[in-house]
Amino acid sequence: MTSPTPREIILDLFSQAPDSFLSGGRLSTELGVSRTAVWKHISSLREAGYEIEAVPSRGYRLLQSPDTLRPEAIQAGLNCSRVASQVRCFDQTDSTNLQACRLGDAGEAEGLVVVADQQSAGKGRMGRQWISPPGVNLYASILLRPSIPPFDAPQLTFLSAVAVCRAIRHCTDLQATVKWPNDILLNGAKVAGLLNEMSSETDRVNYVVLGVGVNLNMTADLFPADLRYPATSLVLELGKPVSRLAFTRELLRQVDTLYQDFLANGHEPVMAAWSELCDLTGKSVSVDCNSQIIQGTMVGLNEDGALLVRTAAGKIENIYAGDVRPV
Amino acid sequence: MEIKDLKALVKIITDTDITEFEMENAEEKIVIKRGPDKEYIHLAAPTNIMSSTPQAPAVATAPAAAPVAAPVAADDNYETIISPMVGTFYRKPSPEADYFASVGDVVEAGQTVCLVEAMKMFNEIEAEFKCKIIEIIKDDAAPIEFGEPLFKVERL
Repeated sequence: MTSPTPREIILDLFSQAPDSFLSGGRLSTELGVSRTAVWKHISSLREAGYEIEAVPSRGYRLLQSPDTLRPEAIQAGLNCSRVASQVRCFDQTDSTNLQACRLGDAGEAEGLVVVADQQSAGKGRMGRQWISPPGVNLYASILLRPSIPPFDAPQLTFLSAVAVCRAIRHCTDLQATVKWPNDILLNGAKVAGLLNEMSSETDRVNYVVLGVGVNLNMTADLFPADLRYPATSLVLELGKPVSRLAFTRELLRQVDTLYQDFLANGHEPVMAAWSELCDLTGKSVSVDCNSQIIQGTMVGLNEDGALLVRTAAGKIENIYAGDVRPV
Repeated sequence: MEIKDLKALVKIITDTDITEFEMENAEEKIVIKRGPDKEYIHLAAPTNIMSSTPQAPAVATAPAAAPVAAPVAADDNYETIISPMVGTFYRKPSPEADYFASVGDVVEAGQTVCLVEAMKMFNEIEAEFKCKIIEIIKDDAAPIEFGEPLFKVERL
């Protein structure tokens, strides 16, 4: 872990004592710099959109944080044990997954989070595009290095799905559900897309990148007309915007908690949590598996996490890849 | 096929509106394609005797046809790249993209040869050593099992 920057320290102190004043003297002691230097750091935070009140003889008080995604704001007081050990924020990047994979190849440590305000080449499954306008949504990728064999890694797909679903339920009162394997739905429309990539050798995982795209404050005019699946966003469902920063922090906490559980207890707790959030069990589904379309009733998951579908002929199909639609 | 026969064949085809011609028999395979501003001819022997043919730039790689009875008995020197997990085998990153690797290609250690997807976890399978692709055992988008061979390769 790198040592925190002065800006991170200041924001961390503000978050420890919300709504109260921090004296210039205290800040200068904590940072180990002069009061003039403190004032410069406060100025740079103001330029970054933080509203900070300065009152003579009392000190500084944080009135409002901007809804921009900055490492110090995401990390301040987050208290995660593994996730967000490092956070990199980009105003624009090609794809946070590509960035995280590059950083993974370069040897970055577990827990690195890459966040972008905007993606120019947001990735979906099969080379599809993930629409990534600036300023409204969350695009993040999390680098993990679990000591597991490659064939266990797909279980992490369920982990990030559960984390996103829980974060939505925690930050709003919306009843988000999961669709196999990791689409997140609100009233049947897709609100988030998750895409995971892994680098492995035959018997061990080098790293896994969990890619998360959540439509937070994206308004109807920002959606393209030709989407494959009906889509929505939290603002469209709620009627009011959500804080990107608060959502991001909650999501990272959820991933951290679930990942700790995964490492300690295996994948059963995650699969059980996923099954509870899925409302298609027992319903009719159609699964496009590229080469064929399988229709039947969703039975549940097998121990690998593959989708079990009972066809009209009574046969149970194990599906490892495909697009599921309720019918 | 003799050169004069090939010339005659090209002449017959160019006198018609045919833009693509393909012929295959036990000894050779001939592909002739005609575009608006260029014409090219690709002539390839079946894979099992290709080693004696100088390899032309891969203009039109023969489609992965049904595995022609490969010389299995003499294959003991070849190695395989296996799948580290159950899932779906993809030879290209997206339906419109080019293949990561085709038969006859030489790939470097660490170069991606295919993707395996299981439950939206995409695993880029890399060659662990420099090798030549001898055979692609699975079709694009085929379901695969853990440990199944995907490629037959010759270590270089």
